[in-house]
Amino acid sequence: MSVEAQQGIATSRIPSGLGGLLPALILVGLFFVVPVLALLLRSVTDPAPGLQNYAALLGDGTYVRVFFNTFVVAFVVTVVTVLVAFPVAWMLAIMPPALASILFGIIILSMWTNLLTRTYAWMVLLQRTGVINRALMGAGIIDQPLPLINNLTGVTIGMVYIMLPFMILPLVGTLRAIDPMTLRAAALCGASPLAAFRRILLPLSLPGIAAGGLMVFVMSLGYFVTPALLGGTSNMMLAEMIAQMIQSLLNWGLGSAAAFILLVVTMALYALQLRLVGSKRASVGA
Amino acid sequence: MKLIFAGILAGLMATTAAKADEMVFTSWGGTTQEAQTKSWAEPFAASSGIKVLQDGPTDYGKLKAMVDAKNVTWDVVDVEMDFAIKAAKDGLLEPIDFAVVPKADLDPRFSNENAVGSFYYSFVLAWNKGAVTGEPASWADMFDTKKFPGKRTFYKWSAPGVIEIALLADGVPADKLYPLDLDRAFKKLDTIKSDIVWWGGGAESQQLIASGEAAFGQLWNGRVFALEKDGADVGVSWNQNLTAADVLVVPKGAKNKEGAMKFLAAATSPTGQAKFAEASGYAPINTKAKAEMPVDVVKGLPDAHIDGQINLDMNYWAEHRDEIATRWYAWQAK
Repeated sequence: MSVEAQQGIATSRIPSGLGGLLPALILVGLFFVVPVLALLLRSVTDPAPGLQNYAALLGDGTYVRVFFNTFVVAFVVTVVTVLVAFPVAWMLAIMPPALASILFGIIILSMWTNLLTRTYAWMVLLQRTGVINRALMGAGIIDQPLPLINNLTGVTIGMVYIMLPFMILPLVGTLRAIDPMTLRAAALCGASPLAAFRRILLPLSLPGIAAGGLMVFVMSLGYFVTPALLGGTSNMMLAEMIAQMIQSLLNWGLGSAAAFILLVVTMALYALQLRLVGSKRASVGA
Repeated sequence: MKLIFAGILAGLMATTAAKADEMVFTSWGGTTQEAQTKSWAEPFAASSGIKVLQDGPTDYGKLKAMVDAKNVTWDVVDVEMDFAIKAAKDGLLEPIDFAVVPKADLDPRFSNENAVGSFYYSFVLAWNKGAVTGEPASWADMFDTKKFPGKRTFYKWSAPGVIEIALLADGVPADKLYPLDLDRAFKKLDTIKSDIVWWGGGAESQQLIASGEAAFGQLWNGRVFALEKDGADVGVSWNQNLTAADVLVVPKGAKNKEGAMKFLAAATSPTGQAKFAEASGYAPINTKAKAEMPVDVVKGLPDAHIDGQINLDMNYWAEHRDEIATRWYAWQAK
């Protein structure tokens, strides 16, 4: 195999590496591009040719509200994730490496546990008769259980927990690349810690925040399990609505159209963010 | 490299290829499917030599996908009856071979050309005795948050049941339920919407009531039966119990149709039905089954609570399924 590969490089004029992309390209083509095209096709042909599925989705208050909900939830989750992840990432960046690797291990470990198991664990913690409410009521802090589940609070807590590693990992990389001397220099020049954070650390870490934030936002948009189990029906997200259209209504045309709209919006956001981050990077570099 | 690929492909094809001595039965999981496995699949496999593989949970989207793609891996599926009527109309089901499945003793309410009864059940009002003071006596009590505070749990999906419950609670007489007045039902449901916790599957309904997360709810009688058997402290009211049925169907293009028909014959036989009823608390759809059952089990079945019992109209639902579902999910998402 390796001999063959070497010969290939030696004899062909194709830039090396392109041939190596072939398996990935075939995989993406077969299992992503083709199904997406089939989805698009179904959305304009099922049950009859035309754009009536898109008209039904965009003309109906319910569907529009579910689209809106989806973006609100994804946005709230992204903001909270950034707020929680930043201090953790900063600690990891300035910690002695031995200690940091242990903490990293703990963070990564959570990703290895089954998603459903973790979500059910949150149900046990958050429900009215759950651990948190029982403890608070036992301590006399509250006398009615707090509504922590089947609403936006439950979805946010559950999803932030799952998204944290995706935010922390890119952020640590960015923060580690920042020269600590810049902060010391700011202090020497008389900047308060807050000013140093706001004017030095935050701008320099923006690429990391943007990269992690985009990943979290895009992943949140399509999330199914956590909102279905920890959310209520009144803040239903798009993935759950699509599942209803496919499984219960058997209206595949409508479901395909909804999925395709989500895909287009997500890719547009991705393109936009890429452009913004790209220019930020350039200005930081200059 | 090519050889390995071809090998994998051949392997995949071998596992999906039809085998005459094997069939797949799909149901809803949990205590119900366990009872079906023990009462039907295991004895059937022993007597016929056909191995019955279990799959689940039932998923109507998947069933349609299999039939559309002409790659049907399920041979017998347990579905709700209103879906079966609709699916037959859409051409998703094989006709039942009544030369193999004896029809004479089957309750005609629950069998037709494309489906035979699986079992029938009632929606009953169940509650956690530790979480409720007093005894709720009717569906109207589930809408009385002053007299009975606490969360109430209802079936999440658009299906016969909740709409009827809301109308009954609002004072509609049982014989005037159909055609369903959806506006009135949703208006009634609006009054308790913030107190509703939805259950999506039987196990979830049991968990909600047993833990007291929901004080009371609309449950399948078999799931309450299982809770009682486990020693959970639950109360149950059969007042205005609502009957509906699950049926067994064979998806169009099933790989082992012959085995499937033989399985249906065994599942709907008096013995199969009696054993299943005993294990699950659901009612048999074979009129001869009761003769084979212990008296105390017969007393616990929906049949023993005919007073005030209401039959949900499966034909009405089959006809209006999409229209009601669209409104149902729109209302839920509000």
